[in-house]
Amino acid sequence: MVFTQQLVNGLMLGSIYISVAVAFTLTIGILNFLNFTIPALYMLAGMVGWSVSYYGLPFGLSEPLGWAPSLLVGITCSVLASLLVERFTYRYFKIKHGDSTEHAIPLVSSLGFLLIFEYAILGAHGSETRGFHTPFTDLNWRFADLVISIPQVTSLILSLCIVVGLSFMLKKTRIGRALRATAESPDTATLMGVEVRKIVPIVFVLTGLLCGLAGSIFAVNYSEVSPYMGDHVGTKAIAAMVIGGLGSVWGAIAGGLIVGISETFSIHFFGASSAQITVWGLLLVLLIFRPNGLFGHNAIGKGKF
Amino acid sequence: MSGYLSGLIGILGINIIFAYSIYVTAATGQLNLGGAGFQAIGAYSCAVLSEMFGLSIPFLLLLSTIIGATVGFLIAFPILRTRGVYMVLATFAFAEIVAGVILNSDSLGGPTGLVLSDYIETDVIIWSTIGVVVFCFYLMSTRIGLAMRAVHDDEAVADLLGVNRRAVQVGAFAIGGALAGLSGGLYALYFGFVEAQYFNAFLSIFVLLYVLIGGTQTAWGALIGASFFTLVPELLRMGDDWRFFIFGVIIVVMMIWRPEGMVTRQAIDRITLKLFPVVRRHG
Amino acid sequence: MADPILQISSVSKNFGGVVVLEDVSFVVEAGARHALIGPNGAGKTTMFNVISGVYQQNAGDVLFAGQNINDIPSRKRIALGMARSFQNIRLMPHLSVTENVMLGQHSQAGILDLLKPIMVMPRAHDKERAVELLDSFGLEAFQGRSVSELPYGVRKKIEVVRALMANPRLLLLDEPAAGLNVAETATLHDFLVEVAERGVTLLLVEHDMPFVNKLCETVTVMNFGRRIYDGPVSGLREDKNVLEAYLGADA
Repeated sequence: MVFTQQLVNGLMLGSIYISVAVAFTLTIGILNFLNFTIPALYMLAGMVGWSVSYYGLPFGLSEPLGWAPSLLVGITCSVLASLLVERFTYRYFKIKHGDSTEHAIPLVSSLGFLLIFEYAILGAHGSETRGFHTPFTDLNWRFADLVISIPQVTSLILSLCIVVGLSFMLKKTRIGRALRATAESPDTATLMGVEVRKIVPIVFVLTGLLCGLAGSIFAVNYSEVSPYMGDHVGTKAIAAMVIGGLGSVWGAIAGGLIVGISETFSIHFFGASSAQITVWGLLLVLLIFRPNGLFGHNAIGKGKF
Repeated sequence: MSGYLSGLIGILGINIIFAYSIYVTAATGQLNLGGAGFQAIGAYSCAVLSEMFGLSIPFLLLLSTIIGATVGFLIAFPILRTRGVYMVLATFAFAEIVAGVILNSDSLGGPTGLVLSDYIETDVIIWSTIGVVVFCFYLMSTRIGLAMRAVHDDEAVADLLGVNRRAVQVGAFAIGGALAGLSGGLYALYFGFVEAQYFNAFLSIFVLLYVLIGGTQTAWGALIGASFFTLVPELLRMGDDWRFFIFGVIIVVMMIWRPEGMVTRQAIDRITLKLFPVVRRHG
Repeated sequence: MADPILQISSVSKNFGGVVVLEDVSFVVEAGARHALIGPNGAGKTTMFNVISGVYQQNAGDVLFAGQNINDIPSRKRIALGMARSFQNIRLMPHLSVTENVMLGQHSQAGILDLLKPIMVMPRAHDKERAVELLDSFGLEAFQGRSVSELPYGVRKKIEVVRALMANPRLLLLDEPAAGLNVAETATLHDFLVEVAERGVTLLLVEHDMPFVNKLCETVTVMNFGRRIYDGPVSGLREDKNVLEAYLGADA
């Protein structure tokens, strides 16, 4: 029973990682860009959401809002921030240096934005963890001894829906095909009439959206947000992405769940801080012996910096 | 020297040595995002050896350096199987594992850290820093340095020209590990205290950024980068949070304005020509 | 008759199921100016990569100056006296011209040479040799310059000078005349004649037939991974296989 309970907990934890891992894998798969702002975008949704629900909109525009509209504002902020990153890292370098993916420049720039977002929030709100109140705390299903929290199940289903929708979009829609063509070869895509310059922002909007949703789900699930909430999830999502294989959406799902499960099990059997060793050890071994991950594409990410 | 000034010089020296540890691998074209892991190994080796065996300070620093070099050398073989983004992630994973192991070992103090009874004055750091800077400038001015830069630019062609790229890359990791170990040892002895939380992912990110923003083309880059990012926030006397915010802004602006880093080879050539117009430069 | 410096005997190479070289044999005599020609995809560059050790052949032997070099790694082949240039110029972009040329000498440096701070020694022997060689080809004006700012033709020559720094007996040139205009091609010709006169054997892959006619005495023609002609340049026009390969079966 303990085993099953841990498995359930692991799946729930993994569901949070899934959306963020998919955001990572999309940018790296389509643009060959390891976007380090993703943890900050995730945190922005939660922290901005909290701030709007606590203080109201800035400049006295409104009274404190309810939890749902607050999170909506938070998600919007994530998307806008993501577009800001696109404007100052990716778009700029595409023009100036030809193929920006050959350089470490966007990666370094995204580290810069990570610092900007994270420390702007820290400067404005301090480093304390804030309570985020929703009407659904303590909603649990109980089967025999098994405890399943309803918000977590909802978030798992929601994450899966997002990802399934996304992979449907990539396969069937015009934009999806254009995105995949860009991933294969930006030059060929341009020749085939894909306007790569218009496609790139879409990736960043999706990134912002995925991170914003994941951050909101976290806020609702755990009823708290903090400026550091992105770091933990970000590193675990990177691990999930690598385990699933860079550029593979389904791999990110599997990776997210694997990371979540191995984390809960290792916490249960070896103590709280052992998860770090288990997850990263798994990752390092995989990177060295099977760098394409479980479902990865072997051409992605090999470019020299 | 006032306490404030000597403290500033101490952390400056440690940062410079640490930055050179990352610079040496970056100069051969390998991005190491696991600096904190290497530094932690040096710091904890120093702390444990000091408490267990009561070695003298020079020995402690020497052993921190040697242990760092050994770890760098050994980890280079698996790490060098990876490339590009994978290498960035693998080094990052390495640092996370080191931090995880420290947090989980009671003998290493776990989350509470270790206290050292030995300590050093600022002058030890000053001399170590001078030594490391001179060594790195010397290294980059030899044929080995030339080979390192060649491997950075084009591994395959360097190989065909007779450069042993494997030896260069592994050697760079070993030297990088040694310098990170030394900086860790100095850190432990200077502050008399080590804790795992200090050696976190952000430390790795910062030190890599010092080097990339400083510039990897010449040995000046790490020196200028580490000094700039240690001293300027002090001079501006900003709060911690806003200091890192500004740091982020500087990085984004630098990447747009001068992606090769602050110090480029051309800039050095131009300055040298201005200072010594008579000497005809061949280099 | 001069000794052969390079003997290719029955070399085959395939990538997965694709056969790129099939039982190719030819010989380059010491002091010769030999060309390797053929239509696109004939396997010329693959042959170069086999000779310089970038690829390991699946069958056959490569003999350099009588010695079988099948098992010698690419890195050590330059020290034997074999240097090469590349189809798309591959100078190190962040190294100056002199530094690039000095790199060509790497294979000859001993342990002590590795440890000398040559970049800051004003009269370092290594640096002087690089400058001398550049001077002797009239390239002294470019010494300290950054590679990326030089014209294409000059970069081609510098790549050859870099290869010459290793004191090679055999120089492999991959399409040296590609991308050059008429005047540049003419100076490259004179330049390579001068290189050959210094006692270096030339083996080049080239598409520019007038250039090959003027520079080389002997030629090997390849098509679809096989050798279809091997002999003097003058015999090319009468050879049925060659005409067929270049002009189609109806010719």
